[in-house]
Amino acid sequence: MSIPPFSIFSAVSELFVTAGVFFVVRRNWTRRSFPFGVFLAVALFELLVNVLYMANRASRAAAGHDPIPTWMKAMFAAHGTLSLLAYLAFVILAVFAYQDQRAGRFFFREHPALTWTFLAIWTVSIVSGEAIFALRYLV
Amino acid sequence: MSQPAARDLAEARGLRLRAPLLLALGALLAFEAAGGIVIFCARLVTGTTPGESLHVIAGVALTGIYAAYQVRHWNRVAPFRPRLDYLLGVIASLSLAATQATGLWLALSWWRDRVAQPVPGEVSYPAALTALHNIGSVAVWTFVSAHFGAVLMRDRRRES
Repeated sequence: MSIPPFSIFSAVSELFVTAGVFFVVRRNWTRRSFPFGVFLAVALFELLVNVLYMANRASRAAAGHDPIPTWMKAMFAAHGTLSLLAYLAFVILAVFAYQDQRAGRFFFREHPALTWTFLAIWTVSIVSGEAIFALRYLV
Repeated sequence: MSQPAARDLAEARGLRLRAPLLLALGALLAFEAAGGIVIFCARLVTGTTPGESLHVIAGVALTGIYAAYQVRHWNRVAPFRPRLDYLLGVIASLSLAATQATGLWLALSWWRDRVAQPVPGEVSYPAALTALHNIGSVAVWTFVSAHFGAVLMRDRRRES
């Protein structure tokens, strides 16, 4: 099966987005200045490119344009919902971190349980997305 | 900030958070979000759309409630200030407007296939428009929550 170029682009760019997310958290964790530009670029890119791509693929699958087995559709749905949660958490927590840092506090550092939970959810979301890509096109 | 001024600020915020229009908007947004997730998953996995008509009707009501809320809200907070809470608010309002517009557009397909000229089976929603509506919904959830959180955090800092 030929792999659509945009699917490859999305699968690869997700890794760069993940690097950006971890960079934002790490900077705050190590008490360095908040990289607002990186946060904004990552948040907008993820929404306008990767989430749009995922929503489009899901809509095509739901409309029956792409023949996909039911178990993979269930994986799409689970991955889509988890990605939504992870993205939502990233933007909200980063906004809190940005505001706190202006008051001399470091949100991620001061909320380790929340931070690690978020990173775990983000990682599962990304790994499940890459797994779907591999199962759909490489296996 | 002095103690009485901080108390006044907290009271004013409490009144705003309990305003019927905001409560109605919050309830409808939550209902539409939950319904949207259910429809997204069920349509993708089983090809069904549970609660589809309710989602459309509540969406139309949400459009009216949101328009009324946004006009009052803007009259209170205008003009735009170069701050994070304002930026998030603008993104949230644009996302909500776009989501409502695509939702109403999708509702035309629902009206055609369910009411005007009923057809058996699923309503034929345009895939690209559905995708835009879904991504808009993600943006609404994200930026409305972030805006709300940023404003509450800003107020908490002012009060302390």
